[in-house]
Amino acid sequence: MIDLVIWPGWLAGIAIGALMVGLLWTTNRQLGVSTAYGGPCRLLPRGEVFRHGAFGRSNHWRLWFALGIPVGGALGVISSPEASWEPTASMGTLYDAVMPESLPLKGMVLMAAGVLMGFGARMAGGCTSGHVISGVSLLNPVSLLAGGLFFVGGLLAVQLLFLGGGQ
Amino acid sequence: MNLVFLLFGAAFGFLMSRAGATGYDFYAGLFLFRDLQLLWVIAAAVTVGILGLAWLRLRRRRPLSVLSLEPLEFQPRPYRRGLVIGALLFGAGWGLSGSCPGSVLAMIGEGKLLALPTMGGIVLGTYLFGLWEHRRAVPPGPGRTEALASSQ
Repeated sequence: MIDLVIWPGWLAGIAIGALMVGLLWTTNRQLGVSTAYGGPCRLLPRGEVFRHGAFGRSNHWRLWFALGIPVGGALGVISSPEASWEPTASMGTLYDAVMPESLPLKGMVLMAAGVLMGFGARMAGGCTSGHVISGVSLLNPVSLLAGGLFFVGGLLAVQLLFLGGGQ
Repeated sequence: MNLVFLLFGAAFGFLMSRAGATGYDFYAGLFLFRDLQLLWVIAAAVTVGILGLAWLRLRRRRPLSVLSLEPLEFQPRPYRRGLVIGALLFGAGWGLSGSCPGSVLAMIGEGKLLALPTMGGIVLGTYLFGLWEHRRAVPPGPGRTEALASSQ
């Protein structure tokens, strides 16, 4: 069990908002993660599709940014006094109560959820960080719509998932 | 410059960890309205974001990027066909997996092994979309090879 330090939501939110503004100010790049997933797609068959347009050279920064994120996650554990870094297959009490118990089956459900996110983010033109944090901060109505619909989709999925099951 | 992006990424991962965005239970808590931690994170981030970007935009001199000295771009993401369906699909995956494309990478750094199939799925979903969009843009049949060549 990982016992991470969790800051109050407003404090962590202020820091994340400041990071988004700082990234734009220093490097002229809008915070966003999902486009980075086009990087590994280049290695797959017919991956040349991912060398152009939104996935082209101008997006190399995204790969470096995405590589930094796990480092930050590990730092989050190491700097938590009550936590020690160890691999875990737990999904927390709520999800573990409703997800399939078999690990391969659970992995398949999560992979399918990942496909929904990868495909959906490209159809929508961004994910939580790109549309919600950056886009809404730019007061872009398109991002506000996307963010609202992200929430509707999440609400429907979780309410269905926990219908009957869960505590 | 790449190091700068790596450092920003690390800071983002660390903050997502501190925010609870890497904790599965916070996602279920949000969508079951039991624990609104992540809602406060988003609300505070967007509030600071709106104020910060407005401040950058309203400064008298045209704001320049600190590192590259180019004028800052505040381009909003455009509306695209399929956004409504895509956003709903994304949301479903968001709630089902208890993670998002950013936080899943931080979860891997934290040692949460079940973030790996989710991340693999996101790559696969991105890949399937790329091939699908390419097929739509360049329909099979005569002229396909030329169209492909000119799009390179």
